[in-house]
Amino acid sequence: MNNGAHDKKCEIWAIGGGKGGTGKSFVTSSIGTHLASKGNKVVLIDADLGGANLHTLLGVSKPRNSLTDFFEKKASLNDIIVNCGMPDIGLVSGTLSSLDSENIKYAQKLKLFRQIKAIDTDYILIDLGAGSHNNTIDTFLLADKMIVVTLPEITALENMYHFIKNVFFRKLKIILSAHGLKDMIQDVWKNRDVHGIKHLKDVVEHLMGTSAHVRDIIENELASFKIYIILNQVRSGREVMIGSSVKSVCLKFLGFDAQYAGHIEYDESVLRCINKRLPFMLTHPFSHVAKEIIKLTENLKDGRQITVTADKYANRRL
Amino acid sequence: MPIEDYKKYFDALELSSDAQLSEVRNSYLHLKSLYSNDSIVTSAIAYELSEEKRHEILEQVEEAYAKLADFFTNKDADTAVSEKPSFVVDEELKQYMSGMQSFSGKMLKEIREKLGVNLKDMAVFTKIRKQYFEDIENERFSALPAEVYLRGYIMEYARYLSLDPEKVANDYIERYRTAR
Repeated sequence: MNNGAHDKKCEIWAIGGGKGGTGKSFVTSSIGTHLASKGNKVVLIDADLGGANLHTLLGVSKPRNSLTDFFEKKASLNDIIVNCGMPDIGLVSGTLSSLDSENIKYAQKLKLFRQIKAIDTDYILIDLGAGSHNNTIDTFLLADKMIVVTLPEITALENMYHFIKNVFFRKLKIILSAHGLKDMIQDVWKNRDVHGIKHLKDVVEHLMGTSAHVRDIIENELASFKIYIILNQVRSGREVMIGSSVKSVCLKFLGFDAQYAGHIEYDESVLRCINKRLPFMLTHPFSHVAKEIIKLTENLKDGRQITVTADKYANRRL
Repeated sequence: MPIEDYKKYFDALELSSDAQLSEVRNSYLHLKSLYSNDSIVTSAIAYELSEEKRHEILEQVEEAYAKLADFFTNKDADTAVSEKPSFVVDEELKQYMSGMQSFSGKMLKEIREKLGVNLKDMAVFTKIRKQYFEDIENERFSALPAEVYLRGYIMEYARYLSLDPEKVANDYIERYRTAR
């Protein structure tokens, strides 16, 4: 196994979002396919241990190896990367035979994270499961780019806000722990009535007010914390704007930076394609959906975001 | 007010400090409607959104837009002054121009080049597309716009070079009519 240092920096992208069925696996496999077609080596990791199906989107019906081998048979992560018919794309399948995914031991989790970081490739894309379980959040925080996929639906947005709030708090907790302030956030939250705290931003403001030291730590964290938003299954020009609105709410109400990486329009042929286990990016390379995925992938690569304006989109039909 | 002081207003409208006026306007309209009305984006996080906070944000957005509108008005005035052409008409050029009977595209181009004026600066200053000036100089009559517009463009061109706008436009339009 290659634990060594590689010259080229490998980027880890994690795709999460809280709610199930928003198209995380579709987006992950499509972004991966595009990156590979541009000459990058890509490894996709299905971290949705309870409901793995990334292999299906890549046209693999029964992966030879999966994370079961890693957790139960002590196989190394590099040895369980399976080929999935496309050159330069490797898959670590998340199909588990018996293991209870919620009960992965802490030491196993750390070992997995270590081995993920050591994979010798250009891009690692991690497809996360639904929910805001700590294991999911920690895997999300492993990434250089944290990406959420959401839909123009209130339930999806609710779950997404919940997810990114938890991610942000978990990150703050980890950072403060590293500075010997382990229980600070819990204490503040427990006594929130005393401090007059109602919202997430109040917690952050309260923490920052406690000392210059804590303030520095948090400001540093806020400056580097960034969430990338992908809006999937968009059906009208008006809905395109929702991505910009979500970005604004993150900035103004949650207090951290979010970037609108791009949107993908609703297209029935996506589902048809998935049911046939065909890779959409290769079978429909000239579709709007494929073009939008290419665009958002390039935006993610460069850390750019799209700017959409009401007058341009409001009355446009997709 | 120096430009750094405007940064917070650009921030309030979620723009970078090099944003254009049109972006400022669009962002203002978007944010105003987002925080004045209920939508799924705000309802989904209603528990984090107090009415005071919403109100406060709307005020900030309004203030930012008002300040930035001023900022752009002043900026336009400043750049217009600083970019005014400055060149010297020397004796040789004076003689060359006095020998002219009627202005053609080719002559205009020669005068402009002798004055060391480039079309890009001219386009920025006059707010007329560079392509039109190129078409005027090369007398690509079929590519040029309708006569009423063309006349305006030529007069701007002449004014920029301190030539007599009426005379240049009349001469040129005559060539244009003959050619068409």
